[in-house]
Amino acid sequence: MLEKAKVSFFLASRSITRGNKGITIFTVFVLTLIFVQLVLFSSILAGVTLKFNELMVNYQTGNVVVEPKEEERYIEDASALQKKIESLPEVVGTSARLKTTGNFQYKEKEIGGTVYGIDPAEETFVTGLEGAVISGEFLSRPDRGEIILGREVSGGFDALMESRSLGGVDVGDTVELTISGKTREFRVKGIYTTLFFMADAGAYISRADMEDMLDIEGRDLAQEIAVKTTAGTDEYETRTSLLSLGIKENIRTWHEFAGILRLIENTLGLVRNIMNAIGLLIAFVIIFVVIYVNIVNKKRQIGVQKAIGIEQNVIVASFVLQAMLYAGTGIILGYAFMRFGLVPYTVSHPIQVPLGAMSLRLDDAEAVNRAVLLFLASIVGSVIPAYKLAQKDLLDLIWGK
Amino acid sequence: MENEVKNEVKNEIRSDLNKVMNNTEPDKTEPGIENKNNKNNAEKAGDIIIEGIDIIRTFKMGEVLVRALRGVNVKIRRGEFVAIMGPSGSGKTTLLNQLGLLDTPNSGKIIIDETDTSRMSDKKKGEFRLHNLGYVFQDYALLPELDASENVYISLMMQGKSKEEYESAAAEVLKAVGLGDRLHQLPSKMSGGQQQRVSIARALAHNPRVLFADEPCANLDSQTSKEVLDLFKKFNNESGQTIVMVTHEEWHAAYADRVIRLRDGVVVE
Repeated sequence: MLEKAKVSFFLASRSITRGNKGITIFTVFVLTLIFVQLVLFSSILAGVTLKFNELMVNYQTGNVVVEPKEEERYIEDASALQKKIESLPEVVGTSARLKTTGNFQYKEKEIGGTVYGIDPAEETFVTGLEGAVISGEFLSRPDRGEIILGREVSGGFDALMESRSLGGVDVGDTVELTISGKTREFRVKGIYTTLFFMADAGAYISRADMEDMLDIEGRDLAQEIAVKTTAGTDEYETRTSLLSLGIKENIRTWHEFAGILRLIENTLGLVRNIMNAIGLLIAFVIIFVVIYVNIVNKKRQIGVQKAIGIEQNVIVASFVLQAMLYAGTGIILGYAFMRFGLVPYTVSHPIQVPLGAMSLRLDDAEAVNRAVLLFLASIVGSVIPAYKLAQKDLLDLIWGK
Repeated sequence: MENEVKNEVKNEIRSDLNKVMNNTEPDKTEPGIENKNNKNNAEKAGDIIIEGIDIIRTFKMGEVLVRALRGVNVKIRRGEFVAIMGPSGSGKTTLLNQLGLLDTPNSGKIIIDETDTSRMSDKKKGEFRLHNLGYVFQDYALLPELDASENVYISLMMQGKSKEEYESAAAEVLKAVGLGDRLHQLPSKMSGGQQQRVSIARALAHNPRVLFADEPCANLDSQTSKEVLDLFKKFNNESGQTIVMVTHEEWHAAYADRVIRLRDGVVVE
């Protein structure tokens, strides 16, 4: 068995080192491209997903969200709870928010949306909303009667759902906001966009204004406390730490708010799988053709090998080994190109997409998966033509029929 | 030039035959001829290494059925150098391929060294060829990606011999065919004669029971052909190597102990 493997390896190695260099380079090049194609879409998808997640964490939820206990509407003693949470070393900041749906009216247009009542100073420790303001200014602590609108609410600024918006509210305009049957006028202080349509379909007013509209002034209530942790902290560990502090409120990680993102991700994942299947099929056909052409040119050699007693399996294995070596080299080159070329390049030169600046993200597990699939495709793509030809009549092979 | 060499060889053969006929001392410088009638025929008699019995081989070429061999019976003795001759299409190569187990007859038996090969599977035949038979093809049929030594030892490697064994065996046999200084030369860098010598070395490296050669000199000039045939004769004489060779040249056949003549798929002589 080992002797046979040795002969197969010997024939394959000689064929690669002393065979047609052009064919070898071409085959490896094609396989490199196929591997890059197989991992590129996954990397784009991983990059988009990462961007979605970043937007979600950075502009909406923070890393962890504390919500009222079951069947309770508010978190009581919110500031005491915030202090408790902030005692954890990994917590960067917390923002106690009041959150409700409201009705916006501007001129003839009227739309519904989510309104947050925030302490602007706290909010800047948790989200990057202040930096997302594209017109006007962000709220400041003493502000009353002022509102920050997301671009999907204000309209304009390339809003994705312009027709659903207020149709072009500018900074300085006044909008009417109705919450729990109470209507008040607010001056638009700023308009923001995170490029993430879910976050952009909301509005922010001061917590004092919101308490006033909800008739809960001075009661230190919150509907959620968004918690920002240091980079790299695992959200689930933070939740455990919070639970160990004796917090009885609901503690949810940002992942649990990303339902629609998962839907988008899964849809893209399906597209990716289809693309992968097509990519693999193309890879299989290319490998098949390249190996077939290579083998057909060696028909007579195969015949001679059979004539002098080299076993058919040994001959087939020598071609499969060649294909595996081609595939292996293609995979290594393709991986190196992605890992040390394209991915770092997009990190230093991000790609501009509607979501913002995005870079590719190469997932090693995905790359290994694609490598294994390409490897298998190369084995099947070489076994079939090699076996088919090696099985032919010995004299037909020698006579090149 | 070619004709001159042919005539020279023919004259040598005639001269040798005359010497034998006249009980004169054979010329030791021509091993191809000297032992022609000197061999121990008694030792050979009854020691049959190949027996072909009623070999029939038919090919279908399009709609036409070609009966290449029509019930051929042959016996080849151990240590014998046999030439198969006949006009084009007489079935020479077909017979060689049947005897050499490169092809399977439609009916009939081939017995090699008391082994009936007619019931062997393709795999078994492959194994049998690997250990017992050697081949020299018309166009050398060397593997272009292997150097001379590798071409020779590939079958030894397949037999499971150790690196030292197969490398030294290849070096030895290549030296014996006069290519001791070209062990690592690729076929593309060799002349036709040198390639055919490598081919002979490959065929002999594993000490086969029978060496089959299909028009081994067809692509060589007369001088080189003579060198190749001298080599055959040398191995036949010195090691008792059984050789079956197809040729259409009378002067090539003159090197053989015996000639089997075919016409229209039948042995005529």
